[in-house]
Amino acid sequence: MKIEPEKLKHHNLKPMKCELNYLSKSDGSSILSQGNTVVLVSVNGPLEIKSAYQSMEKATLEVLFSNKGGKPSVADRFKENVIRQTCESAILGCLFPRTGINITIQELENYGGLVACAVNCTCLALLNSGVAMRHVVAAVTCAVDDVGNLVLDPTHEQIQSSQALMYFVFESSEKNMVTGFTEGKFSEDTYLEALELCRSASDLVFKFYREIVSKYCSVIG
Amino acid sequence: MTDAYKIIHPNKYFEDYISCGERPDERGFSDHRSLLLSVHSIKTAEASAVLKCGNTAAVCGISLELATPKAEEPDNGFLVINVEMTPLCSSKFRPGPPSDQAQVISTAVNDVITNSKCIDLKDLCIVSDKLAWVVYCDVACIDNDGSVIDACIVTLMASLKTLTLPTVSYDVETEEIKVDPTVRIPLKMSGLPVATSFAIYQTPQRNILLSDPTSYEEDMCGGIGTNLIVCWNEGLLCGVQKFGGSNISTEDHKELFRVSKMRSEVIREAIITCITGDTEELSESPK
Amino acid sequence: MNLSIGDVVLPGDRCDEISKIAVKSKVLIGPGLRRESDNVYITKPGILKKRNPNTFWVDSYQKRYIPSRGENIIGTVIQKAGDIFRVDVGGSCPAALSYLSFEGATKKNRPEVQIGDVIYAKMLVASKDMEPELVCVDSHGKKGRLGVLTDGFVFKSSLSLIRKILNPSCPLIDSLKKEWPFEIAAGMNGRIWIKANSMRETIAVGNAILAAEYLSDEDIKSMCNNVASILAGHLS
Repeated sequence: MKIEPEKLKHHNLKPMKCELNYLSKSDGSSILSQGNTVVLVSVNGPLEIKSAYQSMEKATLEVLFSNKGGKPSVADRFKENVIRQTCESAILGCLFPRTGINITIQELENYGGLVACAVNCTCLALLNSGVAMRHVVAAVTCAVDDVGNLVLDPTHEQIQSSQALMYFVFESSEKNMVTGFTEGKFSEDTYLEALELCRSASDLVFKFYREIVSKYCSVIG
Repeated sequence: MTDAYKIIHPNKYFEDYISCGERPDERGFSDHRSLLLSVHSIKTAEASAVLKCGNTAAVCGISLELATPKAEEPDNGFLVINVEMTPLCSSKFRPGPPSDQAQVISTAVNDVITNSKCIDLKDLCIVSDKLAWVVYCDVACIDNDGSVIDACIVTLMASLKTLTLPTVSYDVETEEIKVDPTVRIPLKMSGLPVATSFAIYQTPQRNILLSDPTSYEEDMCGGIGTNLIVCWNEGLLCGVQKFGGSNISTEDHKELFRVSKMRSEVIREAIITCITGDTEELSESPK
Repeated sequence: MNLSIGDVVLPGDRCDEISKIAVKSKVLIGPGLRRESDNVYITKPGILKKRNPNTFWVDSYQKRYIPSRGENIIGTVIQKAGDIFRVDVGGSCPAALSYLSFEGATKKNRPEVQIGDVIYAKMLVASKDMEPELVCVDSHGKKGRLGVLTDGFVFKSSLSLIRKILNPSCPLIDSLKKEWPFEIAAGMNGRIWIKANSMRETIAVGNAILAAEYLSDEDIKSMCNNVASILAGHLS
């Protein structure tokens, strides 16, 4: 599946704004807004955890997702699972055996693309905490509108009218897909096309990470 | 001897099998386990199905209830799907409230049904804003030997396919409800979504896709449960979920779609044959 | 993408330059770098640094301490268990400190250490698979500056701030010590102990250090003058 380079130039993601070290007491934290969707993440670790959860080989990740309402739901467990599995591949957990890394995610505003925003925000919080990582990850959302066109990083209205919605997470070193999940019905070709589109768009997210990190480095260094 | 080898060098043991192009249970990489499906096994339920896929076993029962539709969706009935991972299915599950993993499985099954739009909730409505069916689908996993989500969806689909709804007459003025259980109409369904699980095993040369993995294979490939689930309905994809694990290339993607599409056809036929011609063993032909 | 010294790096970046040098000569890779087969990868976000000859590391921001051999740290005694004291150093598990690893300590002559005491000690053993172990003596059995810190005040900071103030080129401590007398011990685990003549002076030193985190060397000097004049009562 090839997409003409012409098309790639016009990638546009919703504006991203981020503040690192937002919370003073946690080891790493970040608040990220992508469009109107806002998420706050705090990372603590490596810390001591109950021996029942300890793993002899790698750090145990504990992810807690709190939605805006504050009432725990089954759908939140699913989001936690997505983020935990994604981070597990990104963190070099083997350097901290028998410890735990706690990730707490608080949804503040949801206008579409919540999971993507949560994954990106978690990655930034992990960068801030200084936990050793194999690579960074970037999540990109893509919708298929009612006539079958792909819409990158859709707005709330576009999601409402779309027939399918896809989330992809890529890692930085080889641009491989780490995690992906979909909503709605679509054809095989649409899926592969969306995958390539999001893969190239993930560069924008990685560029954003680099900008944020250099901004903070220049202040601290 | 092999048992000791398996314990001492768990990774090497598995790798040796994979490098020979075979899996520990003698299947090829894209072969599936044989299925044993039976419907109408629970007489007290409105519809039911039991599935055994290799060692994985799941049972689904459906019960019906009448209720008033939600005010915000007066034309919709209710479809409530619950997947229970009982402690007897695996030592990973403890008695008590559902674990995180069980909740994830439940969400995944629910998502497949909603995304495939195989059931229109409007069909479950009897009188707008007054009366609608509530279809309770309870899926229980009895033995968890990998690819649980596949098994749950097959039992659920087989049960829904055999479900018939009694005719109900509703008198708007007196609000009297009359249920006639003798005259029953089958539930309308568009297609039969079928999910196929894969585990991705990383070797230095390339990543190998193992379809319909056992729980041992799932553990060897890392992650919690299967790495990848592909779901087809009526020739369209209705869910591709990948959680962590290794990378897959575009060629692998194509292969993946081919294998899962073929399997979805086989399983769809299996369900239909099972319903029309009662119980019979359906072994999938290896390609 | 080509990385060079002084660049901002992210985890997952590959550093070909280091592996090229490694072919010809010996290379030391420090925190934030990881070797996988013949390549060197970054594991922490920050700035890639080099010291001659061929020592590389990444300078990154971090708050959580991960024990590392040979570092001087400040910890609090939380438990006395038989022959050892358990010391909280801010890592994932408490560190062990044997009562024999104090200057002049014998089985009969136990050191005076109580629960809650603040200890300035050296990391002797720090491995991911083992409990970290501390000592309060050097290899000659002398205590040097290590041992129990009495009185004073302990506060926490980020690990990068500790590295910054301990850097010989950082003007902070030099400027402050000219203004009024105080004692200071900085642990690599992000804890600083200060003892000054009065409460007012202690707080002033603490605030000056915390304020230095985001300041340049020039700004630090003027900030120190400012703090001194406030303390002397010239400014309010």
